[in-house]
Amino acid sequence: MKRALPIAVVSLALAGASLRGQAPPSFQVDPLWPKPLPNHWLLGSVTGVAVDAQDHIWIVHRGYPSMTARTEIGAATTPKTGDDCCVPAPPVLEFDAAGNLLSHWGGPGDTYQWPVSPGGLTVDAKGNVWITAAGVPAIPGSANATTGRGRAGGPAPTSAAGGTTAASTAPAGSSAAGAAGGSPVSTGGQARGGAAASPPPPADAHVLKFSRTGEFLLQIGKAGAPGDNDSTTGLNKPAGVSVDTAANEVYVADGFGNRRVVVFDATTGAYKRHWGRAGDTPFASVSCAKTAKDGTVYVCDRGNNRVVAFDKTGKLLKEAVVSPATKGTGSVWDIALSSDPQQRYLYVADGHDQKVFILRRDTLATVGSFGDGGRYPGTFYSVGSVAVDSKGNVYTGETLEGKRVQKFIPKGAGR
Amino acid sequence: MMTRRRDRLILAGFLGVLLVLGLLDRAIARATSAQAKGTVMAPRYEVDPLWPKPLPNHWVLGQAIGLTIDSQDHAWIVHRDNLIGVNEAAASENPPIASCCVKAPPVLEFDPAGTVVGHWGGPGPGYDWPESNHGITIDHKGNVWIGGNVGTDSQLLKFTRAGKFLVQYGKPGQNKGSNDTENFGRPAKIFVDAKTNEAYIADGYGNKRVVVIDADTGKFKRYWGAYGNKPEDTNFGNYDPAVPPIKQFRTPVHCAELSNDGLVYVCDRPNDRIQVFRPDGTFVKEKFVATNTLGDGSVWDIAFSKDPEQKYMFLADGKNEKIYIMLRETMEILTSFGDGGRQPGQFFAVHSIALDSKGNIYTVETYEGRRLQKFVYKGLAPVTKLDQGTVWPR
Repeated sequence: MKRALPIAVVSLALAGASLRGQAPPSFQVDPLWPKPLPNHWLLGSVTGVAVDAQDHIWIVHRGYPSMTARTEIGAATTPKTGDDCCVPAPPVLEFDAAGNLLSHWGGPGDTYQWPVSPGGLTVDAKGNVWITAAGVPAIPGSANATTGRGRAGGPAPTSAAGGTTAASTAPAGSSAAGAAGGSPVSTGGQARGGAAASPPPPADAHVLKFSRTGEFLLQIGKAGAPGDNDSTTGLNKPAGVSVDTAANEVYVADGFGNRRVVVFDATTGAYKRHWGRAGDTPFASVSCAKTAKDGTVYVCDRGNNRVVAFDKTGKLLKEAVVSPATKGTGSVWDIALSSDPQQRYLYVADGHDQKVFILRRDTLATVGSFGDGGRYPGTFYSVGSVAVDSKGNVYTGETLEGKRVQKFIPKGAGR
Repeated sequence: MMTRRRDRLILAGFLGVLLVLGLLDRAIARATSAQAKGTVMAPRYEVDPLWPKPLPNHWVLGQAIGLTIDSQDHAWIVHRDNLIGVNEAAASENPPIASCCVKAPPVLEFDPAGTVVGHWGGPGPGYDWPESNHGITIDHKGNVWIGGNVGTDSQLLKFTRAGKFLVQYGKPGQNKGSNDTENFGRPAKIFVDAKTNEAYIADGYGNKRVVVIDADTGKFKRYWGAYGNKPEDTNFGNYDPAVPPIKQFRTPVHCAELSNDGLVYVCDRPNDRIQVFRPDGTFVKEKFVATNTLGDGSVWDIAFSKDPEQKYMFLADGKNEKIYIMLRETMEILTSFGDGGRQPGQFFAVHSIALDSKGNIYTVETYEGRRLQKFVYKGLAPVTKLDQGTVWPR
C-alpha cells in the first residue's frame, strides 16, 4: 500500500521561527493511520492518548455514553436497529506504530470504579496505564450539551433510545429532531431516552492505575466523594495524569472540578504535595501536568490559555499565554514534549482553535502550528490530547464529536 | 553467417509466438474456469483519502445532506450550515470566541481536483430558503434545485449555477398532504429528466409519494404512492419486519431516480425497500434490503453506473454505513463497501451518492459525519467478499 502520500493538509506558521534561524518541526498527516478497527468497532470521544516505551500508542475514549444510539451504534442497542454496524470499541486500545490494534480492555470492575467519563491517560516507564476520571465534558455547544439527539444510556445499553421510534418523519440528522432522541443530556452518561431512571453513578473524582494488560493496580480518590482544593485524599474531576519515573511520583491535573496540581507516590498513592496558582494568578481549569526530563513541570491552565512551567515543588519558573484571544473553553488542552534529547519543543493541543501549537521550550514562544477545523485527515474537531513517540511522530486524540486518533509524521522523515 | 542468424531469429520468433500463445491459452483457461466457477464481476472502488482539498477560510461543514455531479464533473453539495454548534463554529460567533471555525456557505461546488470553486446559498429576497436544507440536483440546463425537510418546508427552489434565484414551486406551510397538487411535503430529492423536461420529486419527509412536475412551469403532472397506489397520509406507526409490508410509503420517501431505460427507482427508506415504477407510476417490482434495519432504514439514496446500459446500481445505506453494489436488472446485491467510522472510506450516516463521468463515486454524510468523500473507480474486478469493509488504496 502506498502510504507516503503527498499532503497539503498541514499548514505551518513560521512566524517567529525564522528570526532565530531555526525552523520548528513540521509535519504531515498519515491519512491511513490507524488501520480500520475490527468488529465494526467505533471510537467514542477520545480523551487521552499516550505513547509507551515500545512506541505503542494507547488511547482511552468515552465509548457508549458519547455515542448516538439512534444513528451511530445500531448494532449495540436493544433491540438492535442495524445489522452489524456499529458497536462501541472497548475503552482502552493499544496500537503499534503501524496502526495495528494490539490489545483492548477496560470498563467496569468489582475492585475499582470505572469512570463515568474517562479523561487523560498515561503509560509509565514500567508499562502501567493510568487513567483519570474526568467527568462528562461541560462544554457549551458540544454534542452532549445541545443537540438533543439520542445519546445512549449508561455503560449498560438500556434501550434503543429513540431508535425504533425514530419518527420516520424526523429530518435526517436534524438536531431539531428532539422527538427522535429525547431531551438533551446535561449530566451525561445516564440512562435516558425513555429508559427507566436508574440512580446516577457516583461522580468522577479519582485516578486509576492498571497493568498494561488491564489488571487493576491502584485507585486514588473515590467516585462520589470529591475532595476540595486542599484535600490530601480526594480529587474532583481530574483531567490529566503523568508519571515522573525518576521520583516515582504521579502528577494529577485536578482538574475540571478542582483547580490544582496534586502529586502522589506512584506505588502507594500516598499524598505528597499540591499547588493551585502560578504566582498571583490561580489556575482556571487544569487539564494537564507533564514533567520534562530536566524536571520542569508543565501545566495546562486551560481556562486561562496558559502554559505554566514549575519546578517539582511548585515554584513558578515561567509562563506563557497561547492564543490569547481564545475565550470559551480556553486554548491549552494538553501538552507533549518533543522527542529530541533536549526536548526543545512543546506541542500544545488546542481543542478550541483546532490546532496543535508548537512552542520553544526555552522561551515558551509560539513558533508554529498545524491543523485546522474539520473532519478530514489532518483537521480536527476538539483535539484535546497529544503525545509523541521516540521517532518524533505526533499523535492526537479528538474528543466530543471528533472521535479520532491521528498520526502526524515529521516532514522529511522516511517511512 | 547470415543464414544461421536468420535461422536463430526465426527460431526465436517461433518460440516467442509459442510463449505468447501459451500465455494467452493460460489466460483464457483462467477466464473460462472463472466463468465456470461463476465468478461475479463488479466495479471496484478505493477511497481517495486526500480528497477534497482542505476548505478555505477555516470553513467547516454541517450535516452534508445533498449531492449532485454536473456535466463538468464538478461535485455540488448542500449542507446544514445553520446547525453547526457554537463549539465548532466558534469563529462565526460575534465576537469570535476562538480562531476556528467558520460555517461554510450552504452550497459548495468542488472541481475534480477537490478545490472549492463556487459557494452560495441561504435566505434572500424573493424566495423562501428552506428551514432545513435537503437534496441538491443540477439539471441538464445547468440549474440547481434544492429541497427542504422540516417544519413548514413545502417548496422547491431553483437557482442558476452562480446562485441567482430563478423560481420557487410551492409555498412554505401550505402543504395539504400527499394529494396536494400545488405544494410539496418536505421534499427530499429531485431528479430532472432531460428528455421530457419533467422533474421527479421524492416527496418526502411530510408526504408519501413521488410527484412529477413540468421542470419549467412547476405544474403538477402526476403522482403516486407505493405500488402505484393513491398515497394516503395514514400513520402506519413504526416499521416492523415481522409484519407484512405496508401498501404505502413511509416517510421519508428519500429518492426517485430515473434510469436510461425508463424505470423510476424510489427509496422507501424506513420500509427498507426499493420500489421500481414506469414513468407513469405503474408499479414494476420491488427489492427489500437489510430488512432488520429499524429507525432510519436502509434505503437512503441510489445512483446508476455510467455505462449506457447502467448495468450496476449503487445504494447508500446510512444506517448500516455501506454502499451496496447491485446488478440493476435483478437488483441482486453483488457486494458492498464501507463501514462505520471517521477515517477515510468509513461513514457516519452516508446520506447521498452520485457518480461522475469516469465512474468515480462521491458520497456525503449527515449527522456527525459531515463529509464529502470520493471513491476512485478501479475497473471491474472479481467479487471476493460480500462485505468489503473499508476500501483503502492498495
